[in-house]
Amino acid sequence: MSETGIKFTVSEFIAVVNQTLDYAYPQVTLEGEVASFKINQNKWVFFDLKDETASLGCFMPLFQLRQPIADGMKVILTGTPKLTNWGKFSFTVQRIMPVGEGSIKKSFELLKAKLEKEGLFDPAKKRPLPPDLASVGVISSTAAAGYADFIKIINERWGGLKIKVAHTGVQGLSAADQIIRAIKYFNEQREVQIIAIIRGGGSADDLAVFNDEQLVRTIAASRIPIITGIGHEVDESLCDLAADLRGSTPSNVAQMLVPDRQAEIIHLTNNIRHLKAYLLNQIDLAINELTRLATDSQRQILSLITTTLAEISQARQTLSALNPERILKQGYAILSGRISPGSVVKITTHRQIINAEVQDVQARN
Amino acid sequence: MSKPETKTINQKIADLNQQVEWFYSDDFNLDKATNKYKTALALASEIKRDLEGLKNQIEIIAKDFSKE
Repeated sequence: MSETGIKFTVSEFIAVVNQTLDYAYPQVTLEGEVASFKINQNKWVFFDLKDETASLGCFMPLFQLRQPIADGMKVILTGTPKLTNWGKFSFTVQRIMPVGEGSIKKSFELLKAKLEKEGLFDPAKKRPLPPDLASVGVISSTAAAGYADFIKIINERWGGLKIKVAHTGVQGLSAADQIIRAIKYFNEQREVQIIAIIRGGGSADDLAVFNDEQLVRTIAASRIPIITGIGHEVDESLCDLAADLRGSTPSNVAQMLVPDRQAEIIHLTNNIRHLKAYLLNQIDLAINELTRLATDSQRQILSLITTTLAEISQARQTLSALNPERILKQGYAILSGRISPGSVVKITTHRQIINAEVQDVQARN
Repeated sequence: MSKPETKTINQKIADLNQQVEWFYSDDFNLDKATNKYKTALALASEIKRDLEGLKNQIEIIAKDFSKE
């Protein structure tokens, strides 16, 4: 046998092959069906990824498994091919997600049951919208239609808010990690009162990222309340269940966060109109009360005057009856002076004053 | 010198509601009502101006979240 080409030891050859694979395929995305899924020592995950004609052995650490996987599920995964020291060809998985409605639903139900048991969706832990909202953190793709809807509606409805936007992917294998980083960023910065995770409608595959276990746990652990607006009303994700509040769509989240300025202006105008009417009514009531008091006072004063006039008239009549001139007119006279014989007395009649001498004084019996 | 106090729309609306409540409370009296009404009217006009004119301030964070 003639020796041609480069001569390697076995270890060297495996290392060279791996270098070549790394160079040629730094990251590969594969789609297929899972078979022979098993977890060893609660640390390592092994399974085969297959299609109609081929099968590939896959390996990954358990902590990187972000959504439940089971035999028969269709999945999409990224990773790198590798030749082991035992000469076995393997695929080291970095990220894996179920695809297809059936697989996603199955994975969703498995993870939902697990997290529900842990209390991540407990309604008692839900926080309400912060009062006097002035700042909002938004996590979304700024190129997405859902984000545009959210911004349009919130700008139409309200003003004066500080909105900080973290641009992230909202679908695909790397989106969950990006959203997790954005949530952590907002929690570290503490500049916003609420975080809104926004993503418009899409297929089950597009929205599968919102069933990522680590993302769901990060939402549940956020110190800042989180509201989700993911897909449409019918699309329920585990992120929705873990969030404090859920809007049925991105537009609905905007409606939940802020009131409508036009409705507020109408309410304000009505309030002032009612207040003006109320105040005028109070003034009318006060005027009526003052008028009533004035009328009462006037009546009392008039009554007092009438009574007094009547009393005066009565007194005048009495005085008139007692007037000495009136008695003199009746023919009587007033005798004044010392009554003794020889003295002069004064006699006053109605028309005359007479001085007369007293001749005799006798007592009457 | 301290900055003048700037209130949010919500805070101004809360202030206005409080002012309006006074008119319907036992504290109401006509002597003070006219001035209080003028104050409430001015605040309502200010809120309306704010509601019609204020824009949201939107900032896209520069950080690249696709990287660790």
